[in-house]
Amino acid sequence: MRCESALIRLDELRAGELPADEANEVREHLATCRECDDDRAAFDALATKLPALVRACPTSCVDTVRELCAHGYDVVEVGARAVMVAFSSRGITRVSPVTVTETKFRDEYRQRFGRELESRELPATLRGEVEAALRGERLKRADVDIDELPEFERKVLLKLLEIPPGEVRSYAWVARETGSPAAVRAVGNACARNPVPFVVPCHRVVPSSGGVGNYGFGERMKRELLAGEGVDLETIESMAKRGFRYVASRTTGIYCFPTCRDAKRIRDENRLLVRDERDATAKGLRPCQHCRPLARSA
Amino acid sequence: MAPHTDILALAVHRREDGAFERLVEQFEQQLFNYVYRLIQNVHDAQEVVQDTFLRAHKALTRQYDETRCTALLVRPWLYRIARNLAMNKRRGLRSRIEQPLPAEEHVGFNPAVRPPALLCSIETREELERLDRALAELPVEARELVFLRFIEEMSYAEIAKTTGLGESVLRGKVFRSLRQLRDTLASNEETAHAV
Repeated sequence: MRCESALIRLDELRAGELPADEANEVREHLATCRECDDDRAAFDALATKLPALVRACPTSCVDTVRELCAHGYDVVEVGARAVMVAFSSRGITRVSPVTVTETKFRDEYRQRFGRELESRELPATLRGEVEAALRGERLKRADVDIDELPEFERKVLLKLLEIPPGEVRSYAWVARETGSPAAVRAVGNACARNPVPFVVPCHRVVPSSGGVGNYGFGERMKRELLAGEGVDLETIESMAKRGFRYVASRTTGIYCFPTCRDAKRIRDENRLLVRDERDATAKGLRPCQHCRPLARSA
Repeated sequence: MAPHTDILALAVHRREDGAFERLVEQFEQQLFNYVYRLIQNVHDAQEVVQDTFLRAHKALTRQYDETRCTALLVRPWLYRIARNLAMNKRRGLRSRIEQPLPAEEHVGFNPAVRPPALLCSIETREELERLDRALAELPVEARELVFLRFIEEMSYAEIAKTTGLGESVLRGKVFRSLRQLRDTLASNEETAHAV
């Protein structure tokens, strides 16, 4: 056997993987060739040391990977209202009424977010937030994970979080406040696509022209939700019919959205109805700084 | 290898509870070591390992049917995915990677869970660090083959499945890689003594 042939078989000889006859041939060669036998000794020494070069993996990726592969989902019930809630480690990703089946919920989720859902217990903080939202309470914090939505939708949803329960704003207001005053329709679409209804209160946005507008779960549900939060829809609608959008106080000279918490404190004898921004300016009124009927920059 | 790994693929496919976690736990250490040898950067290696499991999960749960999952040899399959992803990553990093390794990247050798008796003395520790350094200096193919054969202790058949090379070609390559490692080690020692 030539040196070259022997050398490439050394490794298998060491591991005992060589057929008997070949092994014998290699051994014969090693017995006669000093150089190859030295090589064998060196390689065997290396081969015994090398397994020690295993590195410790810095952190286990089990949790990250599981998280990336599948988000969790759970059911939350408050009174007669029940919703399905999907969540990642960063927060709530989807809220849907339990009228859809679990399979459909999972299918929809896969289609929209490209992720699987698996039944897991909703962490207590998130559960608390969803429950408070279903009760129409003011949320101290809303841990929603909307990082994967388009930037505009994200901006709109974050703005909606600023609308407190018991108050409503118009689509035009949201458009103006997010810095795209002409994008009123787009705001409507973003609200319609809101993956986390209730928690992000898209039901608190109504058309400037009056009425409650559309809602993913039906207009009736929107009315119920708003009425539950204490919004006086009748007054707003009758005002809108007569062409008034704002109310003002004679004493302070400030005008507000009719549902603004400051507007509710105006006494009847001091209450003024205002048609629009131009009407307000003509009457020498200034916009409220809480409900901001006029964008600050305007 | 654990005898039940190949049932594991099927378990993941059937979405059995905890099956995927078991798969990750069982292979992440080895895959990390493999990918680290290929791209020599801890952070990127971790990312590649993560992506490997994501791919694997998607394939097992959504793309492969029962028959395919049953027939699957999990270890070489996972190595193959990791290898492809690592090579993609390396391509993106090439300019950086081909330069000599930055010092900090190099030294942090922390031996893993299976601490061999060898590691006891300081001398052998130093020796291992020298070995680690020498291995890091080899070309990527040599690093890969030395890892698969001598650190991960795969059979030639498995290495062939992982790398896509023929077994007989591999024998020669593995031998030459090991010889290169020995020579690098020797020449490093010479320079060290010369200083």
